[in-house]
Amino acid sequence: MILSLEMKKLKRTGIFPAFLIGALLAGAFPIVNMLARAETFTSLPGEPLTILAEANWQMMSMINLLVLLCGACMMYHTEFADNGFQKMEMLPLSSAGLFFGKLVILLLLLALMLLTETASLAFCAGRWFPGSVFSLREYALSAGFWFIAALPTVILTLLIASAFPNMWISLGIGVILLFTVSVFPQDNPVLILFPFSTPYQILALARENGTAASLLTACAAEVLALSGAELLYQKIRRCFA
Amino acid sequence: MSFFTALGVEFQKIRRSKILLILLIPVVIMWIPSIVNARINFDTRNIPITPENNFFIQGFMGMVWFIIPASLVICTVLLTQTERSQRGILKMLSLPVSIVKLCLAKFLVLVILSLVQMLMAVFAYYISAAAASQLQHYDFVLKPDFVFPVVLRIYLAAIPMAAVFWMLAVLIQTPVFAAGAGLVSIVPTVLIINTKLWFLYPISYPFYLLMIEYGKVAQGVYETEIQWLPWIPAAIVITIAALAISCIRFGAAERR
Repeated sequence: MILSLEMKKLKRTGIFPAFLIGALLAGAFPIVNMLARAETFTSLPGEPLTILAEANWQMMSMINLLVLLCGACMMYHTEFADNGFQKMEMLPLSSAGLFFGKLVILLLLLALMLLTETASLAFCAGRWFPGSVFSLREYALSAGFWFIAALPTVILTLLIASAFPNMWISLGIGVILLFTVSVFPQDNPVLILFPFSTPYQILALARENGTAASLLTACAAEVLALSGAELLYQKIRRCFA
Repeated sequence: MSFFTALGVEFQKIRRSKILLILLIPVVIMWIPSIVNARINFDTRNIPITPENNFFIQGFMGMVWFIIPASLVICTVLLTQTERSQRGILKMLSLPVSIVKLCLAKFLVLVILSLVQMLMAVFAYYISAAAASQLQHYDFVLKPDFVFPVVLRIYLAAIPMAAVFWMLAVLIQTPVFAAGAGLVSIVPTVLIINTKLWFLYPISYPFYLLMIEYGKVAQGVYETEIQWLPWIPAAIVITIAALAISCIRFGAAERR
């Protein structure tokens, strides 16, 4: 019930076309990159997926995060804009349920983006690396890894969006976090475990460095902690308002 | 109502928005890793650059690539949303004030906010350069007659970008699209400044200027001469076109 309700709210905000355009842009990224300078990458040793991900994932993931950030801010903006949130509170619905309804929709959209982007990477691998073997399992694992790695970030952005009635404050905080973490050194084993940093990781490299397990554990812990924080926040929110 | 009154009114509207705080935080955060990691400026990886120039260029890199464009996008969201949320824009449009004046006043607020942020960045640069000098026992502070002209040029180069973002914010009614389009357009600048057609993409101008400075202080990193000729006319045409379109379309959805 809550899902169809949330879908209905988002119908006219343009969030679905925004994600579609974002996914297409991010998906076009490796293709354009390969069209422009294919020989720089085809000469490298290693798996095509790893090479392509190393060359393009930083940018693609940044597009994902920016679109997710806008999506999360938009979802709560529709609630806060005309005091819709107060009306929702009068209804026999839990405000945490509202949050998780929005989260599920955001995650579905994220899955759609990742699917498009992985398909684009697979296309590039097939088109420019003719000798390579296509393994669906590898691509599925990699996409799954990216999905799990993005979870804490999505929950955190939605948590911030639910806390500030003004959209530009939550957008501003999100952009600041996104930027701050992107200037952190990427070779520090602790700093890469933070939300906004995990989505940039690549499965093949994480396996190589032996950080895959710790990354996934950290993501799971962050998901639990941030969900707990949101539940707690929804309980004590009235003390601040 | 004179233009200056309109400008004053626009500043009045954002008085309580704490926008300066949001502009200040990224500037401060940006310099903290620079101070902490000041040592890496000595490791120049075979690029012929002095540590103090390296400190300046690396520090401002994040500023021109991400913070200036992203802050401009956030400011446009602020300027459009504060009035749309309570339908204040309807009241403004029903007053005997020229719409062009209103639109340009808002744009000028955007440009002034960006100027304030640039000044904050220079201030933060001097503080962090002094701090890094203390920590590393090496003079990282550059002379103001080098820093200020560079920063001023970067700031002027950000104005066409501000005009384009303002046009996006005016044209696109759904805020998620306006902010999303602005933020996503930041991502490819790194690639675009390495192509021949960079001058058609206003979001890459500040980055381009900083790369020129990088090329000047470190031989062979990038070009050393600014390509004034296709750039300045292109920038002027883009700025005027963007401002004209935003003035024509300002409040179009509300006037329907």
